[in-house]
Amino acid sequence: MTLPPILRAAMGPLRLMVQDRLAVIGMCVLGVIIAMALFAPLLSPHDPRHINEIEDGSVLVRGSDVWELRESLGPLALNDAAHHAGQSIIVGRSGTVWTRATEGDWARVDVETEADLNAVDLNADGRAIVVGGLGTILLGNDTGWQVIPAPEADLRSVIWLDAVTALIVGANEEIWLLDATAGNIAEIDSPVGRGFPLNAVALDADGTALIVGERGLAIRYDPDTGTAALERIGSSRDLNHIHIAPGGTALVVGERGTLVRRDTADGAWTTDPAPDTRALRAGWIGDDGRAVAAGRNGIIMEWDGAAWQIAPTESERHLRALLVVGDDWLALGSDRFVTRLSPPSREHWFGTDHLGRDLFSQNVHGSQIALLVGFLGATLVVLIGTNVGLIAGYYRGRTETILMRTVDVMYGIPFEPFALILVLLFQPSLTIVILAVSLLTWRTVARLIRSQVLSLRERPFVKAARVAGASDLRIMYLHIFPNVLPLVFLELAIIVGVSIIAEATLSFLGLGPPQSISWGGILHDARLSGAWRTAWWWNLPPGILIMTTVLSVFFISRSLEVVANPRLRARQ
Amino acid sequence: MTRRTYLIKRVLQAVFSLWIIATILFFLFRMGLPDPTSVLITEGLNAEQRAAVRAQFGLEDPLWRQYVLFLTNAVQGEFGTSFSYRAPVSEIVWERLGNTMVLMLAAIVLAYAIGVPLGAWLSWRRGSSTDTVGIFVGLMFRSAPMFWTGMIAILIFGVGLLMFPTSGMRTLPYDADGFLDKIFTLDFLWHAILPVLIVALYYLGSPMLIMRNTMLEVYGEDFIEMARAKGLPERDILYKHAARNALLPVVTQLAVTIGLAAGGQVVVEVVFSWPGLGREILNAVRTSDFPLAQASFLIMAAFVISLNLLVDILYTTLDPRVSFR
Repeated sequence: MTLPPILRAAMGPLRLMVQDRLAVIGMCVLGVIIAMALFAPLLSPHDPRHINEIEDGSVLVRGSDVWELRESLGPLALNDAAHHAGQSIIVGRSGTVWTRATEGDWARVDVETEADLNAVDLNADGRAIVVGGLGTILLGNDTGWQVIPAPEADLRSVIWLDAVTALIVGANEEIWLLDATAGNIAEIDSPVGRGFPLNAVALDADGTALIVGERGLAIRYDPDTGTAALERIGSSRDLNHIHIAPGGTALVVGERGTLVRRDTADGAWTTDPAPDTRALRAGWIGDDGRAVAAGRNGIIMEWDGAAWQIAPTESERHLRALLVVGDDWLALGSDRFVTRLSPPSREHWFGTDHLGRDLFSQNVHGSQIALLVGFLGATLVVLIGTNVGLIAGYYRGRTETILMRTVDVMYGIPFEPFALILVLLFQPSLTIVILAVSLLTWRTVARLIRSQVLSLRERPFVKAARVAGASDLRIMYLHIFPNVLPLVFLELAIIVGVSIIAEATLSFLGLGPPQSISWGGILHDARLSGAWRTAWWWNLPPGILIMTTVLSVFFISRSLEVVANPRLRARQ
Repeated sequence: MTRRTYLIKRVLQAVFSLWIIATILFFLFRMGLPDPTSVLITEGLNAEQRAAVRAQFGLEDPLWRQYVLFLTNAVQGEFGTSFSYRAPVSEIVWERLGNTMVLMLAAIVLAYAIGVPLGAWLSWRRGSSTDTVGIFVGLMFRSAPMFWTGMIAILIFGVGLLMFPTSGMRTLPYDADGFLDKIFTLDFLWHAILPVLIVALYYLGSPMLIMRNTMLEVYGEDFIEMARAKGLPERDILYKHAARNALLPVVTQLAVTIGLAAGGQVVVEVVFSWPGLGREILNAVRTSDFPLAQASFLIMAAFVISLNLLVDILYTTLDPRVSFR
């Protein structure tokens, strides 16, 4: 079989690679990484730049010193909970209903609706009423669930007034009186009538109901007279939740850490200073003076008798409801929250970064830049270096002097600082990174190739070609070049590793192309955010990937070193 | 060519290289900037300083006049005033260069002190699993980016075990009377251990592998056979006969490494907040402190070139076989 000389020369290095076990391992690893780069969009489960949000039926339990995160109740947010006589019930988004008896496990209950369920209440008979979006009203007892037809409205809260009537309030200032036996609804005129959203309702000690809503709105409904009247509780903030203990102690919570408290049934409302200004979604107060409030970003405040204190929690999930049964305190959530700095999980294999972006996807995508710069840079370096070496070695004389003096000058330029200056002066872009790498690395290749060419040009086959009348170009590229090709392969392999490290270094210093994801860039983000000291999952994988890639390239190049040093070959 | 003409030629060549680099630097900075004057004006200098800087750089002059002025000043070691430090650039640069060299030289010495005997030992155990592990570990540290190993080291020993400080050269505040006073203290040593170790681990691979490979070559030589035939113990053959003859390529590599040491490892200085020259260049270019950046780079290049020159000169005395081409 006769191959063209170039191909025949290229076969040698390949054969060497296949013989070396480490080189074969290197090639396999590199193959995997190349595949990773090629199929990055298919391999990554998330968009690497997308800030990931998660919705979760989170349950936090008050432990001895911290609110602990318990196993979640499904992937949907929990909105409200109620408890009566040993029976508890939780409702949430998309028709989620969970029940449990005294200390049992939570069990999911099927209801005939997909609407978001916003509020629940239990009466003395153990009968549950649930309200939600799209005018959803559900009545439930031991035998099953019954849907009450109602006009479409976003219903926010519900309370049993007695065994058969319930008061429902909604987002468009709806105040409805439900007769559970007849299943009909009577609308009650609001004293405001301007469509203010009403968020919560609670039963006061005297049997009237107190409704709170946006912009500090408070309405008292008296079932005896059937009328609603404005009440002042001294806040103009949006009020999200109200809880009144059987003895008349009451707590109203709202936006920006609003906490309004009443110590006795006929006492005055006082606004408490809050230790945090995030929105509070739920509050609970007992007649014994215990009180707790929960809100966004996992904020939980407890009343210690004199002031509100922030309770330590295990998570930053948004909390929407509280369920207090004796000493068993639960906080429930959670809306969509960003999974910032979450450790590796089934959803995020390598965890997430400070913005909640998926790190596995970032690492997978990072391989693209690394390999692109690695191979493109190395190709450019070898192209420049080989040609300079060939021309200098072949022509000698003045050409050689000029070219080799240039190489000498290049040796005086420290690599890292020069690349820094180049990138900083000419806006960071992929082209500049590749140029910075290649402009300074071709010097070694040129020297090596030249010394090889110097000995080759004196060989008989070159002289023969010259006598036969071959042109200089023909001799250089058809006769000499195939003989230095193994050396070129060796340099190519070495410089791929050098380029990958150089790119990672520049990206790590924040000089990589903006908007692109690279391994060095991930480490740059980690260092810049300051979170790398705790989030080990953030800075471990990119470094390991860089190391593995460069190591596999080194293994391949080691097998080729035999080419440059035939004495090694003789001994094998 | 006699040795004297070779040396003269070599020195001239170094000066030429330096001139070319200064020229590249001069035009690169003027090309990369939209307008050098705008950068100067926006800096918080008062009118007098501004006028002084303008005069110093001769910014109204034509480009060639500026170039000549820049070169003549540079030859006299005059690099102007740093914008951000309000101090002569040369003072800052020399101090930072010292800090970089302390770190790099300590690391290189450590790497060679460990790497050379280790390489000799690996060659003795060639083919064994020790050999494979040694090669693998050496190449691994060579492949891992230094900024990453530095971060991991800080995480483990600085943040986790609280054994070493994670940044700087000395515990602040401190004042030292001079450079030597600054570095000959336990506090300095304590700060230097992690960065020196990280750089040393990176450099360790190359003396180790070169030593191992040349040792393997030397083993094939006749005089080793001769020593074996004489019945010398294997250990003596290894360290007295083979190792001595295998050292030259290692020394060559050492020279190249030291030559590039002034270039420093910018990332290590950044990760460990080491006040070295590389980090200074990065800051200077970021804060548009061009006199400082320009001078830092030029002095760094001068250092690299003169070290290379020194190595070449030393070589002519060390190895008589070197031909003066």
